[in-house]
Amino acid sequence: MFQKLVSPFLILVALSLTSGAREARAWWMWTPGDTVDDVGYKPTQPIPFSHALHAGKREIPCEYCHSAARRSASAGIPSMNTCMGCHKVTRTDKEPIKWLTEKYNKNEPVEWVKVHDSPQYVHFTHKQHVAAGLSCQTCHGPVESMEVVEQVAPLQMGWCIGCHKEKGASINCITCHY
Amino acid sequence: MTINNHETGKQGVAFEMDERGPVIFGPVDGPLERPAEKMVEGALYMETEEVMPELAARQSPEDQKDEARKALSMNLDRRDFLKLFGATAVASSAACVRRPAEKAIPYVNQPVDFVPGVANYYATTCGDCAAGCGLLVKTKEGRPVKIEGNPAHPISLGGTCTLGQAGLQGLYHLERRKGPAIKRANRTDALAWDDVYELLAKEFAGKKVGILTGGSTGHRHQFYREWLRATGGSESRLYTYEPNALYSTIAQAHAIAFGVEAMPRVDFRSVKTVVGIGSDFLDVGTSPVFLSKGFSDARNLDNGAMVRLVQFESAMTATGGRADDRHVIPPNSELLTTLALMRSLAERPEAKGTANVKAIAKKILAANSAALATAEGLGVSKAVFDQLAADMLKGGSLLLAGGSHSFDENATALQVAAIVVNELVGAYGSGLQLDRGWMVAPVKPGDMKRFAQEAAGLDALLIIDTNPAFTLPASFGFADLVKKIPLVVSMQTQPVETDDLASFVLPLNHYLESWGDEQPAAGFWSARQPSVLATTDSRQAEDALLWIAAHMKKSMPYSDYRAYLREKWKSLQASFGPKGDFDVFMERVLQKGFVGELANRGSGSLRDAATGAVKASGLLDSGTLRLLAPLDIRLHDGRGANKPVLQETGDAMTTITWDTWVAMNPGTAKKLGLRRNDVLRLETDAGKIEVALYPLPGVHPDAVIVHRGNGHPAHVSKISGANGVDPLSLFARKVDAATGMPVTSGATVKVASTGKVFQLAAMQKHNDLANRHDIVKKLGVAAVSEKVAARAGKVRSGETIRSLDDVPDLYPNLYKDSEYRWGLSVDLTKCTGCGACQVACAQENNIPAVGREQVNLGREMHWIRLDRYFEGDTDNPQVSIQPMMCQQCSHAPCEAVCPVYATTHDPDGINSMTYNRCIGTRYCANACPYKVRRFNWWTHRWNTIGDRLQDRNIRALNPDVTVRTRGVMEKCNFCFQRVRDAKHTAKSEGRKVFDKEIKVACEQVCPSDAIVFGNLKDPGSRVSQMRADVRAYLALGGDPEKNEFGLKTLPNVSYLAQVSHREGFGKGDEGHDTHAKGEHGGHGERT
Repeated sequence: MFQKLVSPFLILVALSLTSGAREARAWWMWTPGDTVDDVGYKPTQPIPFSHALHAGKREIPCEYCHSAARRSASAGIPSMNTCMGCHKVTRTDKEPIKWLTEKYNKNEPVEWVKVHDSPQYVHFTHKQHVAAGLSCQTCHGPVESMEVVEQVAPLQMGWCIGCHKEKGASINCITCHY
Repeated sequence: MTINNHETGKQGVAFEMDERGPVIFGPVDGPLERPAEKMVEGALYMETEEVMPELAARQSPEDQKDEARKALSMNLDRRDFLKLFGATAVASSAACVRRPAEKAIPYVNQPVDFVPGVANYYATTCGDCAAGCGLLVKTKEGRPVKIEGNPAHPISLGGTCTLGQAGLQGLYHLERRKGPAIKRANRTDALAWDDVYELLAKEFAGKKVGILTGGSTGHRHQFYREWLRATGGSESRLYTYEPNALYSTIAQAHAIAFGVEAMPRVDFRSVKTVVGIGSDFLDVGTSPVFLSKGFSDARNLDNGAMVRLVQFESAMTATGGRADDRHVIPPNSELLTTLALMRSLAERPEAKGTANVKAIAKKILAANSAALATAEGLGVSKAVFDQLAADMLKGGSLLLAGGSHSFDENATALQVAAIVVNELVGAYGSGLQLDRGWMVAPVKPGDMKRFAQEAAGLDALLIIDTNPAFTLPASFGFADLVKKIPLVVSMQTQPVETDDLASFVLPLNHYLESWGDEQPAAGFWSARQPSVLATTDSRQAEDALLWIAAHMKKSMPYSDYRAYLREKWKSLQASFGPKGDFDVFMERVLQKGFVGELANRGSGSLRDAATGAVKASGLLDSGTLRLLAPLDIRLHDGRGANKPVLQETGDAMTTITWDTWVAMNPGTAKKLGLRRNDVLRLETDAGKIEVALYPLPGVHPDAVIVHRGNGHPAHVSKISGANGVDPLSLFARKVDAATGMPVTSGATVKVASTGKVFQLAAMQKHNDLANRHDIVKKLGVAAVSEKVAARAGKVRSGETIRSLDDVPDLYPNLYKDSEYRWGLSVDLTKCTGCGACQVACAQENNIPAVGREQVNLGREMHWIRLDRYFEGDTDNPQVSIQPMMCQQCSHAPCEAVCPVYATTHDPDGINSMTYNRCIGTRYCANACPYKVRRFNWWTHRWNTIGDRLQDRNIRALNPDVTVRTRGVMEKCNFCFQRVRDAKHTAKSEGRKVFDKEIKVACEQVCPSDAIVFGNLKDPGSRVSQMRADVRAYLALGGDPEKNEFGLKTLPNVSYLAQVSHREGFGKGDEGHDTHAKGEHGGHGERT
């Protein structure tokens, strides 16, 4: 137990003597390995796709587009033919849809900016979490009310472990790190 | 001075020491462990700044130096320095908001059967050799990431060989040509494919065009013949060539003896005795996976008596290493040995075969009586042959003769003699099948003879997917023959030496990008389909030919080769059904990977022509050193040499990586005053080479063995370019008369020391077990029966049977509450040391190749090691091969010493390694008694070509496994990604993982089925049963029967003791036991 505490302890002491909590977070940004708390990250996407409209107002279920979530580790970004399924006929007069249609006809994919991104040494599986009955909002927040999707949970290990402990899920290192 | 090493003197191995250490080989590492003179430069590897460019951008080296200087000048203690360092880090990173944004790019039109993150498998057929093994190619997001054997395929039965497993490195090889090229005078120009077709069509019109191509059993050769005819040429100008001469000699011998150009299908299950004379059927042979699987099955102790292998050989092969009785014979005396065996068989009244067979045998023996008179000099007495003949006639038996190390002028004669022997023991129809599902010969024997005669008359030659410029000895004169041909086109999947002779150099699709088929056994068809679109601007050879024909206005009625195959497969549908829609049939074939049933034909009788085909010369003079140049078990004829993973897989017997070595009998080496790593000059009348010595026990005193495969010129590949030498340059022009194949063994060679020393990159530096009795355990067959009987007695009397896990222990039962306890069991009787597991492990777990320099520093990264031990007579030792991976100890010494809890124990028994937590103290590696932990001394390059290309294309990485960086420890974790996948599937289906559901990479690939993985909590699982077997033991686990428990690490990996029919096998162990009591007896209590 002592060993387990000693190194984070030292670092915390060192940091608390020199800087406030905000910088402590910055320290973690510096460490190799992407342990950044990105709460509030809200990148601009190529077109103003609104989850508030699609998932909120129109009540399209999450898994209609992110259909890999229940089958795979990855939730998957919908391919363009999913978009065009509706947008061949709906709202074809809007600028973003025109842009999308043009890209689709040219066989060019849309390059979305990833919002939720876990480091490569973490193996997160959507499938198991969907199967366990977690709602998408538990980790992704109220996406159905977001005009632009932003990250609401820190997605850091402490946050994962907290929930795993609460629900009695595995907290072995190798469950996620291998 | 001469000293005997401990008490091993009684086993006949004496170690001589001088001031430089052990003279021949020894248990002490001595000078071989000397560190490299200088550090390897960083050019090969990534610097931290390359891994994290934002670090470099934020803090220049000058700044870093300043900080350090400041810290030092302030004379701070460590704690203050840490504070200061933390503060500067904060300051310097304040500008950085977050990591760089990543893009998520979905498909435009997602394929129907595709789910991102879920693997798709494609059934196909291996194209790396002519054996035709069925494969399942795992693809992730459209990229092939792992090659596995197709478990339903009767040739591969789920396994692949070492070479086949490395196929992905061929597909993703960074040196593959980017497009077609034409060589004019002194320059090479890139060409567009359309121009190639146009130019070649013009050149070929009305000319005599020939095709020289590699072996195939499918429709490919037939297509070439049809193409030659369609473009106005002659079908006979197709020449097939396979450097493994065994195919042509066996087919030729059966043509002579039975009138059938085919190879018999070997069925080990129906025999009790297998005799090998110069055979290498477990190394390279004709179909290494098929034969290894079959042999391993027949070696199963559970299936009653284990088949006995008697091997006569002058080299030390992996096949010989598995032999129960191994007789060392002089080089090139395989035919004489076969005749001696034939004589003993013919003398026995119970010999099988018709009167005709016996008469032919008598005639052959009479014709060779002069040669037979010298058989005394073989070093094997007539009594041995007589006894063997009696044994062979008692149960079923068969003889496998010939291999790449015994290929001389008598190669076809040897096969004919072997046929007669097999007739005398009644092998045809039982152990050897020639009438039902015989193996199709991938080449037409005699083609090379024809090529040598006809090449000069050709106007143009297409060389397709074969590399004769390297694989034929220079003395064969291939280069001269080809220079006489005005137009030479070289079509290859990777750059090869033959390209230098061609004016057109055209890149071909890799077999993973191609359509095709093979017919490994008559009537049995194995389909090949692309699992990825062409990754470079390459074409399939057949498609290119169709385009050329179209430009010649002599088009064939097929749009591409796939259409041609569909046409041909229509006849397969007619034979094997189901009738109806052809597309449905084809879908089914492609899904399953194969179709067909074994063909039958009337059995033929032995022809009299066999008599004349066997002409043996007497025994060659002893004391003359003779050079043998066998195919390499990993690099084959050199086609694997540009794959780093194969170069880094150790040779089975010497564990040498990256180099060519010359193997000689240790006694001969000693007599000549030569030591390991001495660079020798080998000189024959054809040439000379310099190569470093490895004294290898078990080699005949007259044999000098240099494996083929390495010695490529630098411009062909950066991987193979600087490695080793090519022994074929030492052979003067001699051919086997019947097939025209060049002789690659038996050249008289002069050996002299150059006075130089070259450190061969051998992974294992010791040869014996240093008297540890609980590393490899050996048992005679009788001892196993005794143990089985003793256990049966205990069961009857109701005594408890002590399990391996029953070790006196202070700790509570670790696995009391868990559903699973993962375990692995390795059968040491079956493992041949081929190294396929090492390659599979490297591919599955993203393990980098580190290169010769690092291997010499002991820094190879293999998660599974193949330890090879010799015991007994140096001239004919017992060989044990032990796959050693993380033992997943229940009481793991590594876990207790980790200061940061980076390695911990999973409740399911896996000793896990958390890379992102590891700080690289390497305490765990020091604590590990099995030495299976590997430290990343560098971040190895994945995607760039450094000074020397050593790594894989980044696209070949397994996305399910973290890529480790510098400063991190790693080791085997039982392919946890596979375990987790299976557990998730089982959980979603509301059940437990069942046995065989998880196959770890090494188990999956193993051509000998030596490795079994499973759940130890399930008493019915295969691994539980193996752990409860009478032969089971734990490495370094003492001898529980004697209440010695060794280190008490209680591994979840168990081994099954090696079993052999060999006389006195395992007796050495008991000798050790008595000794161990005196010296090591207390170690059980001490731990």
